Amino acid sequence: MPRVTCFSRNRCTSVEQPDDESIRSICRLQDTLMEAVVEIVVKLPDLEITGIKGEISRFGQMPLSEPTSVLEKAIGVRIGPGMQKIFEGLLGVETEFKQLTFMLEECCHGVILSFTKGTVQQFPEDEKDAIRFLADDVKKHIRLYNRCAAFAPGSRIVEGIEPPR
Amino acid sequence: MRSMLSYMRNKLMSVAREDENTLSVYGVLDDDLYGLWMDVRVGLAELTIISVEAGWNRWTTPECRLAIEPLQEAVGMRIEAGLRQKVQMTISRKACRHFANLLLECCHAAKEAAEGIKSRDQETVRAARAASRDGNEALLRAGDQAESVGERKRQEDPISRTASGGTMIDLHVHTSKGSSCSSADVDALIEEAKRIGLDGIALTDHNHVWQPEALEELRHRHGFLILGGNEVTTDQGDILVFGLDKDIRGIIRLEKLKEEAGQAGAIMIAAHPFRGFLVFDTAQLGLTLEKASGRRLFKWVDAIEVMNSKVTKEENDFAARVAEELGMPGTGGSDAHDVKEVGLYATFFPGAIHNEKELVEALRYGEGVPVAFRKNRGPLL
Repeated sequence: MPRVTCFSRNRCTSVEQPDDESIRSICRLQDTLMEAVVEIVVKLPDLEITGIKGEISRFGQMPLSEPTSVLEKAIGVRIGPGMQKIFEGLLGVETEFKQLTFMLEECCHGVILSFTKGTVQQFPEDEKDAIRFLADDVKKHIRLYNRCAAFAPGSRIVEGIEPPR
Repeated sequence: MRSMLSYMRNKLMSVAREDENTLSVYGVLDDDLYGLWMDVRVGLAELTIISVEAGWNRWTTPECRLAIEPLQEAVGMRIEAGLRQKVQMTISRKACRHFANLLLECCHAAKEAAEGIKSRDQETVRAARAASRDGNEALLRAGDQAESVGERKRQEDPISRTASGGTMIDLHVHTSKGSSCSSADVDALIEEAKRIGLDGIALTDHNHVWQPEALEELRHRHGFLILGGNEVTTDQGDILVFGLDKDIRGIIRLEKLKEEAGQAGAIMIAAHPFRGFLVFDTAQLGLTLEKASGRRLFKWVDAIEVMNSKVTKEENDFAARVAEELGMPGTGGSDAHDVKEVGLYATFFPGAIHNEKELVEALRYGEGVPVAFRKNRGPLL
């Protein structure tokens, strides 16, 4: 029996660096009920959000406030650990903006992952070399220890590495 | 000229109704680094995850494969308020944060689908939403009834274990009573601090003010210097504040916190200012000492935490260089969230410190010296 979807969602986040001083990250959402976009501009090297705008072009129940004016409260926040808590505190948790706050976070994660991409490109091709390379990275940044399954006890990457005290 | 994309992530989630009581959610995450898929079955009655299947198409480390098994911990979770935190605490840490991200997307999609089904299948979904709403309301009620903290007196009854020869204080400690992220029982924490030879600790729970009576009771019961402080989350990051009686909830703008601190004569310290920043190469970010020193944050604080056990040595060193560049005092604190972490770093004051007032004065005059107190002294100390 054919199974037709009752809900579909596409979310796309893209990051570009228009110049040496800034990064632009855009998150676009299209689903059965809603269409929206959030764009941020981030200043290097602090990864501070200097520009932000949002638009909801389709939504069953239109929001009470204009999205950009709400999102702009996040200007000045630096992308990094703890940003989720800061966004929730500054933007509030009103239902109509929950999705936009999530998209803002997606933009920020995109910025972080664009840098991660540069790091991953340095990983050696050979598996043993890659494990050694990553183990050195954990020793250097011990906070990576236990961050995920690949860096948890039982993984070859952290074999022989003392857990952080 | 349009610039080239440096990164792109696409996610697709689709929900179908498997049978009267079950939703089947298929999710795909594909970006420049990772390719992963997930098949989540959700019970409609209570929006509960029934099963999870997942796999990698592309990954970054040879051990990413280990993330698949822990995903089973998601089975049984309900799609309701608090799900995100639960997923972050389990799936993100034990499996992989990208799978956690995709799982949340699948759950959100399932919720949206369930809401849509509601209009066509009123009876079934009404029961599910009622159960979910009850859970949300219970959480909200718990928040409303959270401890209300009144005006706080300073410690006037001095207890100092050091008559002369200075005072060693861990200026950054979290307890399970004041910080949900800490597992450290306050009594165990104090006993451990005494055992390793600290002269005092400052309780700097997140946006939580200890009642003066409670601090006094602790000081007398343990015969130990316990100072009240606060780690306040601002739009510019976490700030340690000493001498501010006001109970600050939620996120506050740094400028506003400075205003409050100024009126109270309190002191502000930038906590772990470069946490997480140096995982990337500084060159990648273009982060120079000069640029870092020009950060707005440092215009509003009185001192910089340059020794913190939750950041890397490089991040601490960089913070110390910034403090030196700006001519600002540096402090040390463990940022302990567990009993065994107390005293990893501390701040040494040449004079005796008996109460918060003296601590604030000493910090204001830059008398504190950050010390790797326990960090390099073996597990027994």
